[in-house]
Amino acid sequence: MTHEVAASTQPFVMDTAFWTATTIFLLAYAVIVSEKIHKTIVAIFGGGLMLVLKILEQHEAFHLEEFGIDWNVIFLLISMMVIINLMRPTGVFEYIAVKSAKLGKGEPFRILVIFSLVTAVLSALLDNVTTVLLIVPVTILIADALEVDPLPYLISCAIASNIGGTATLIGDPPNIMIASKAQLDFMDFVYHLTPVVVVLMIIYIFVIKLIWGKKLVTRDELKQRIMGMNEKEAIKDPVMLKKSLAVLAMVLTGFVFHGVLHFQPATVALFGAGLLLLLSKTHEPHHILAEVEWPTIFFFIGLFIIIGGVVKVGLIKWMSIKVLDITQGNLFATSMVVMWFSAFASAFIDNIPYVATMNPLIVDMARQLWPDLSGVQLLQHADLMPLWWSLALGACLGGNGTAIGASANVIVVGMSEKAGRRISFGKFMLYGMPVMILTVAVSTVYVWLRYYILKI
Amino acid sequence: MKAKDLMITLQESLKPDNTLKEAAVILRTARRDEDRTGVKGLPVLDPDGRMIGFLSIGDMLKAVFPSYMSLMNLGDFTWDGMVEDMARKSGNKKVSEMMTRDVITVDEDAPLMECVDHMIRNNVKRLPVIGKDGRVLGILYERDIFFAITKAMLDENSRGGK
Repeated sequence: MTHEVAASTQPFVMDTAFWTATTIFLLAYAVIVSEKIHKTIVAIFGGGLMLVLKILEQHEAFHLEEFGIDWNVIFLLISMMVIINLMRPTGVFEYIAVKSAKLGKGEPFRILVIFSLVTAVLSALLDNVTTVLLIVPVTILIADALEVDPLPYLISCAIASNIGGTATLIGDPPNIMIASKAQLDFMDFVYHLTPVVVVLMIIYIFVIKLIWGKKLVTRDELKQRIMGMNEKEAIKDPVMLKKSLAVLAMVLTGFVFHGVLHFQPATVALFGAGLLLLLSKTHEPHHILAEVEWPTIFFFIGLFIIIGGVVKVGLIKWMSIKVLDITQGNLFATSMVVMWFSAFASAFIDNIPYVATMNPLIVDMARQLWPDLSGVQLLQHADLMPLWWSLALGACLGGNGTAIGASANVIVVGMSEKAGRRISFGKFMLYGMPVMILTVAVSTVYVWLRYYILKI
Repeated sequence: MKAKDLMITLQESLKPDNTLKEAAVILRTARRDEDRTGVKGLPVLDPDGRMIGFLSIGDMLKAVFPSYMSLMNLGDFTWDGMVEDMARKSGNKKVSEMMTRDVITVDEDAPLMECVDHMIRNNVKRLPVIGKDGRVLGILYERDIFFAITKAMLDENSRGGK
């Protein structure tokens, strides 16, 4: 064993290319964290530098799985955005939100619980940013109608979206990236992550019951404002609604079976987007396509090239050797370190660049542990799987730690400020950090129990 | 005819520190010509008398319209009394928060067609008229241009009839 590890970790050359790539990588991350320049611009420029300085050939960046842009991630994101953009004008999301408030019978705390659950479920099926953009406006409206403080609804929306997003392959960008790197399918996530997320949501509901259960009260006549709303009025285009629900159902079914059918998730989503565009009979796809969040997409593209550069020169391999040195090859210790380090790292930095770095690092770690294996046998080695799940849980749940930990939090805080209910960095952390620590602690027990004790 | 020939001379103005409550009273009782019939908008002047913005009744509507409502289609889910509630909450907002900062203006010597051009292009119904010293002299209203247009039309007809 010792001999094999040594063989796979032959010293690589720390030459000019190594130091150039490392410098670009560190500078880019430093500028992204400092927020002096928009992260998308940093990523595109950094990626461009990697290419123009010949650290990475264009062919490697565009066409190689090992060093290049992960088109599976890119097209999955773009396609889901197109589908949602086509669905939005139908009014379905307003319908769901108002219906949820009415289900709560105008009781402020019941509505908070229902909104949290709806947000978690929607976040598992759509990306978190989209979900909070669709839920937050209605939650503030409902809080205004009931004349209660919107703060619990706002913070809970962000937190529930981060927890819910952890549950599935498509719920949160880290999972999309991990799935693509480790060639995991949708059902793998349902089987390994959804159960713990369900437990986390149940615990979370108890937590909000403790914090806000008694504080949220309203008068009966104000409840009538909610009960007087007719959710059916939200539906603006019933024909398109049926078409989009059918396509969405098809896409979700496609995700469930994509492993069996040997389709990549991006194939399923791209086909769904194309089909719904066709069914929408729009003659102007311009604005649907323009509403795709291109800055996010190009952020991914630039990052993948930057990471490709440091993978090629061996920096990531060097880092993986260091991690294995620290944990002395003990994979349980490694997965615990990965989970907790990921949680705290993701609480303060964007979890997308973080996971983009950790993915190849874990692959390199696997190569050192099992130098004779390759492909799925290597990526999905039974002893490696808990590491992927720990990375996913840490990176996704870590987002709850601070107001900048996840894009969903940033959006919620921004919208709250505009609505005249500012949530300070400290205020968010007061709720977010304990929830993060609690959920990661429960996940720690889950990973330990499931993969190291029960081994199922 | 030029902008200054048709404008209504400025008599009232707002200060950036005025609350919306104060601004509402000023707008409602401002003079148009001789009558205190109120106006639909007034320039906001800094202590030196320079215009830094314009507050119209449209901005007052925006002041009571919650930002979250512009993000989704929620008009169907509002309730009786909501505007009044929001108005009570917005009364202490400052004029400087709600005023339009990029004001379309014309010089006092601008020909009327230039004024019409600004109104059509920017979809505004009133234009502050700026004097040579950079201060606001008055406001040119769409209505007054309309009167000029009708006058010319009628003159043209009577001339054509001869």
